[in-house]
Amino acid sequence: MVVLKRVSLFFIIFLSVFFSACNGGEKKPSPAGADTPFVINNKPVLPPSDRKNSYADVDVSPMDMSYYPPNYPQLKMANPGLAQPVLRVIYSRPHLQGRTLFHDILKYDEPWRLGANEATELQVYQNVTVEGNKLPKGRYTMHCIPHENEWTIAFNTALDIWGLKFDPSKDIFKVKVPVTHSNPSVEYFTMVFEKNESGANLLMAWGDVIVKLPFNFNQK
Amino acid sequence: MMKKVLFAALLLVSVQFANAQSWIPVDKSPLDQIYFPVDYPSLKIRNPREVLRMRIIYSRPFKNNRELFGSDIVPYGKIWRLGANEATEIEFFTPAVVGGKKVPKGRYTLYAIPEEKAWTFVINNETDIWGAFKYDQAKDVARVSVPVKELTEPMESLTINFEKTKTGVNLVAGWDKKSASLPVTF
Repeated sequence: MVVLKRVSLFFIIFLSVFFSACNGGEKKPSPAGADTPFVINNKPVLPPSDRKNSYADVDVSPMDMSYYPPNYPQLKMANPGLAQPVLRVIYSRPHLQGRTLFHDILKYDEPWRLGANEATELQVYQNVTVEGNKLPKGRYTMHCIPHENEWTIAFNTALDIWGLKFDPSKDIFKVKVPVTHSNPSVEYFTMVFEKNESGANLLMAWGDVIVKLPFNFNQK
Repeated sequence: MMKKVLFAALLLVSVQFANAQSWIPVDKSPLDQIYFPVDYPSLKIRNPREVLRMRIIYSRPFKNNRELFGSDIVPYGKIWRLGANEATEIEFFTPAVVGGKKVPKGRYTLYAIPEEKAWTFVINNETDIWGAFKYDQAKDVARVSVPVKELTEPMESLTINFEKTKTGVNLVAGWDKKSASLPVTF
């Protein structure tokens, strides 16, 4: 069995090398960095190729966005005249870089911007509800307070703000959603929508934690 | 024996791939945003009276040792998403004037048609769309042709920046050794 493991390990290494070789002979200054984090003195730094950008460097926690329906812009390209999307989240993606989510990065019962840099933004293209709370068409920011067994998620009307200055008086409502632990580890904080029976869940994953926030499209 | 090993190895590899695919990986052309006023979200904390004018959301491809302008990557004379992935988005938070045309407050897409000596910036009404593959000129809001500037230092990642002017702002797009400025007034 040990021999088998060794042989398969060898084979996997061979395959990985083979696959990465196929990914392009040229050097890729991947900002993704999932496989090759650029870390100097325990501090994340930019890929060497991009340190000299005099205008604006690529962020160590790169921004990303997810639509519902998933991949809406591609869907629309294939189907001109497609109805508007329902939701879009824009957020920056911090990564673990060898740290544990709890408690190297986040602490229970302490607020978090659900991302990095600017406050995480939710664009709502049609009226929806979240756990019975009305969320009319518009732009919002989101923030959270992680607890051990549930997360409090708040929807806020202050826009275009840095994520460390949340004004609770501008929260329109808060919901509590369950959290699961011990999931396969995710290096980069990830937000993605998945269809559910009455609308969509916003899945939030980081480290071994997954939180699902349900949006209902039927109740307006 | 070898077959079993091979099978087990393939299975492990495919499981790894499946895991990797089940969550969206970080894009190799990461998304970014820039506001005008620049750094508005943190500026606002210090000065709540600051007026927010514009925001660009775009993906930032890397040069990656490639020939860019005039090659297959960014051919001359063709509409380009001025980024990667989704079409670059430009939002005006107040009415603005671009190339002599009034642009009402709202969300638009921003494209460019690069030529050797000039770029044409294009503002279009169709939003939430991938690339420039279904670009429809009938939905244009403004088109402005501007001269190209040669940079002395090449820029690895596509960069959009705002430079304040006496009458408004220049939206400056640069990549590799080229840059072009689109004047916007309010």
